Amino acid sequence: MRRPDLLREAAAGSGCAPWRLVRRLAVPSLLLLLPSVAGAQDLERGKAVYDKYCSQCHGETGDGKGIAASRLRPEPRDFTAGKYKVRMTPTGQLPTDQDIRNAIRKGLGFPYTAMPPFDRGLIDDAELDDLVAYLKSFSSAFADPDAQRQPIDIPAPPPYTPAGAEAGREVYERTGCAACHGNVGRGDGFSAPTLRDDWGQPIRVADLTKPWTFRGGGRREDIFRTMSTGFAGTPMPGFHGALPPEDIWAITDYMLSLSGGPQEGDTVEAPYANVVRAVVVDQPIDLAAADELFAAAPPALFPLLGQIVEPGRDFYPSVVEVAVQAIYNQDEIAFRVSWHDMRAETTGHNAPDLPVPSWEEQLAETGGAAADEESGGDEDDFWGVGTEESGEEESADDFWGVEESGGAGDDFWGTGDEGGATTPDKEFSDAVAIQFPQAMPQGVVKPYFIFGDAQNPVDLWFADLGKVARDPAAAEITEADLWTGRGSAAMTPNDAGDVPEVVARYQEGEWSVVFKRKRRSRGGLSFNPSTFVPIAFSVWDGFNRERGNKRALSAWFDLYLEPFERPNPLPAMAKAFGGVLGLEILLIAFVRWRRRRTAPASADAARPATAYESS
Amino acid sequence: MEQFNWWVIVPVFAALIALRWRRTSMLTWFAAWWIGMFLVVRYGFTVPVPMSVVKLYMGLVTAALVAYVLTDAGRIREVTEPLAAFMTERRYLPYLAAVALFIPAAVAFGIYRDMTRVPQPPSFARTIHPATPAEPIDVHGTSYDLGTADNPYRELEETDPAAFKARVENGRKIYYENCFYCHGDVMAGDGMFAHALNPIPTNFQDPGTIAMLREAFLFWRIAKGGPGLPAEGGPWASAMPAWENFLSEDEMWNVILFLYEFTGHRPRAVELH
Ligand code: HEC
Ligand code: HEC
Ligand code: HEC
Repeated sequence: MRRPDLLREAAAGSGCAPWRLVRRLAVPSLLLLLPSVAGAQDLERGKAVYDKYCSQCHGETGDGKGIAASRLRPEPRDFTAGKYKVRMTPTGQLPTDQDIRNAIRKGLGFPYTAMPPFDRGLIDDAELDDLVAYLKSFSSAFADPDAQRQPIDIPAPPPYTPAGAEAGREVYERTGCAACHGNVGRGDGFSAPTLRDDWGQPIRVADLTKPWTFRGGGRREDIFRTMSTGFAGTPMPGFHGALPPEDIWAITDYMLSLSGGPQEGDTVEAPYANVVRAVVVDQPIDLAAADELFAAAPPALFPLLGQIVEPGRDFYPSVVEVAVQAIYNQDEIAFRVSWHDMRAETTGHNAPDLPVPSWEEQLAETGGAAADEESGGDEDDFWGVGTEESGEEESADDFWGVEESGGAGDDFWGTGDEGGATTPDKEFSDAVAIQFPQAMPQGVVKPYFIFGDAQNPVDLWFADLGKVARDPAAAEITEADLWTGRGSAAMTPNDAGDVPEVVARYQEGEWSVVFKRKRRSRGGLSFNPSTFVPIAFSVWDGFNRERGNKRALSAWFDLYLEPFERPNPLPAMAKAFGGVLGLEILLIAFVRWRRRRTAPASADAARPATAYESS
Repeated sequence: MEQFNWWVIVPVFAALIALRWRRTSMLTWFAAWWIGMFLVVRYGFTVPVPMSVVKLYMGLVTAALVAYVLTDAGRIREVTEPLAAFMTERRYLPYLAAVALFIPAAVAFGIYRDMTRVPQPPSFARTIHPATPAEPIDVHGTSYDLGTADNPYRELEETDPAAFKARVENGRKIYYENCFYCHGDVMAGDGMFAHALNPIPTNFQDPGTIAMLREAFLFWRIAKGGPGLPAEGGPWASAMPAWENFLSEDEMWNVILFLYEFTGHRPRAVELH
């Protein structure tokens, strides 16, 4: 499949600007690699590999400004700073060579960042060493041969126990992790929306309930290391020396208990599903008490991707997965869609048909501020507030004035900012939609997964959380919006169909939106037991200025309605057992009877076909 | 030859030949062939054979073996004699009872499994490389006959290597601004959004994709994307964008040059008829 010789071709074919190579090689190789004549050679080979596999993201000069950089968050690392997140060395020290090798081999939380693992047979161990030497040559920090790079010890982990994990909760709360990571680790701490990394970029706090998304790996040892040494260049502190190892293990286990305990094996797999199973409830579905009803419904976790297929592209959506549950009874069906969001945007509005400027226009709108780091002093919200009118300066939950040092004025999470007042009011609210075909597909043909097509329309159960959950604690029961999609350019409100009821709640960093509708419908889709129904999802994060086609969406998945009654297999099994046994007895009796009648030696009368049929 | 699991096929046939040579009884021979054929059909291919097809083949194999046995009275006797002995002779009685109970128990278990199996969603076997449209396609107002169209810049490779290189470089820029999210940083179909997609993005390193396609085919797929597929390609599920919405014709031809340059594959030539 992959051909290692790709690399040799790359090495042979790479004609690079020679002066850059000279500059790059000269200083550090003189300082570092003087004793070995082969040193320069190594850097040259490292450069060939780098130019083919890394420069498109990390930039030819290692400044992190490669071709893809402007469309990636987090941005590719700028190697000139010598700041590495995943290290065995304590805060303040450079990483060891082995740390850098590991980052390249394992990637950094791929696919939740763009940094892929290079364990794919493309780079052999010798080339990896060359590559590490080349990366180090980008930063003068590595030029000092005496710089301390002393890995910490990771003591043997105590066995994982639920009690230990519970004790870890206390340490977690005491240590102040919640200020950034939220009370139960969902990345919604009060300072989360204000955080930036050392390059001035907004940085998203990790969702501690999802270890499969961790940059530094989600195994116990990995998390211990992350918490001990911190992530250089980010607000994530290291606790080596500040907390005793027992406490670090305890927090680690608490964290892992949030996702059901540590997984076996070398990697942590995301528990994604492709079917959500609706279970039968034998009572009316009361939205005010839906939690109990949903307790029996198995959640299915579906991955989302940024909508980058049609114009209005969303290259770095905020929400990467949704958890879905479904219940039904004779008359009604209900879905609960939930996801983690660092802040509920319940001001402003949202709709599936809102226009989105093209990516280039979005960049232009910010006046190139995205690329202009000098334009400080601008008071506008770097996360992407884009209100035309200026709002109140003082507002109860105005984090912006607090942490903000009047920085770059660029708008990375929400390109498309017209600039404006410092206000927590968002132009676009959070929103969610469940998508179904308008009619049950006959055969294999489905509507186009992005809001349907002209021949095969979809129904969208849409909840604008700025409308249905303006007070997200109230959990008011209202009506959802029903849209018909014949393609994203042909979205129309559907006034004829059965409108679902909806109730939404935001709690501890989690949106939980419950939709309920009649199970059978005159105009739209009916949900019948023992059938598979195509289902898809879209989520809009107002904080990221997502609206219309700029959103996170899923492929088609399936909803399966468990049958009302599970047929009991016992009668059918007993019938089959008796029947087959009876036939056997008849056959044996027949053979014996023939045997007795004929001489034992001449069995030619026995019908062989019968013998085979019975076997 | 990669489609066969040789380490299954070779031992099976070696065993069958050895049996022939050792002249075992007809019943053993019959059973050995049946099992051997089952192993070959089920595990002999690198691409797993669906169970329905396996059943069909095993039906044929059974019929052939039965026919072979039936053609000769001696063979019939060789097969039936031990079976009849098993069913009648006293010394086999415990074994007979065990077998007689085992078979209906297995059938009942099969029924249990069928009735309690968690149903799986219907699957759709899409045609990965459907035929190109017979009618010329329109891209940004230019009409392309896909039977004869070719990459207008391919010849630069020979005539003007510097211009060719510039186009490949432009293709690289387009690829890493647009395509790698799905097709992956090294074109192995494993980009950061790939895990959320079904069908998954094409792996261009795989010799079964762009290496056996013409550049005009790629041009069609890139310009018209998933929505441009015929029904057998499953246009409703493919996330492949219609790049005519974003890219000029030149840019599409350039990115094609880069796909081949990066993977080291060569496009299939246009057949002139
Ligand atoms: C598709 C884009 C992409 C490619 C290709 C890529 N990287 Fe990265 N890389 C990233 C991003 C994005 C990050 C930052 C991730 C983060 O900060 O969470 C990163 C981070 C890193 C880091 C920092 C690790 C740390 O602990 O902080 C290293 C080292 C690195 N990349 C090396 C490489 C090398 C070597 C290659 C080529 C063999 C490469 N990358 C190719 C996108 C890429
Ligand atoms: C000042 C804010 C802040 C505090 C306090 C903080 N963190 Fe973090 N933490 C972050 C940020 C920001 C990230 C994301 C870093 C990134 O993605 O590069 C992060 C990432 C993490 C990660 C994920 C690392 C990975 O591999 O992706 C873990 C685990 C973690 N923090 C645990 C903790 C724990 C436990 C505490 C308390 C002992 C804590 N953090 C305190 C800001 C903080
Ligand atoms: C949103 C994800 C996505 C993006 C972005 C994307 N593709 Fe695709 N592409 C796919 C998927 C999924 C398939 C497989 C399904 C199909 O054939 O339509 C595919 C198929 C293809 C094929 C057909 C290959 C074959 O063997 O028939 C080509 C060629 C292709 N892509 C080129 C590109 C190019 C060039 C770009 C960038 C300009 C690109 N793709 C961007 C998802 C994507």
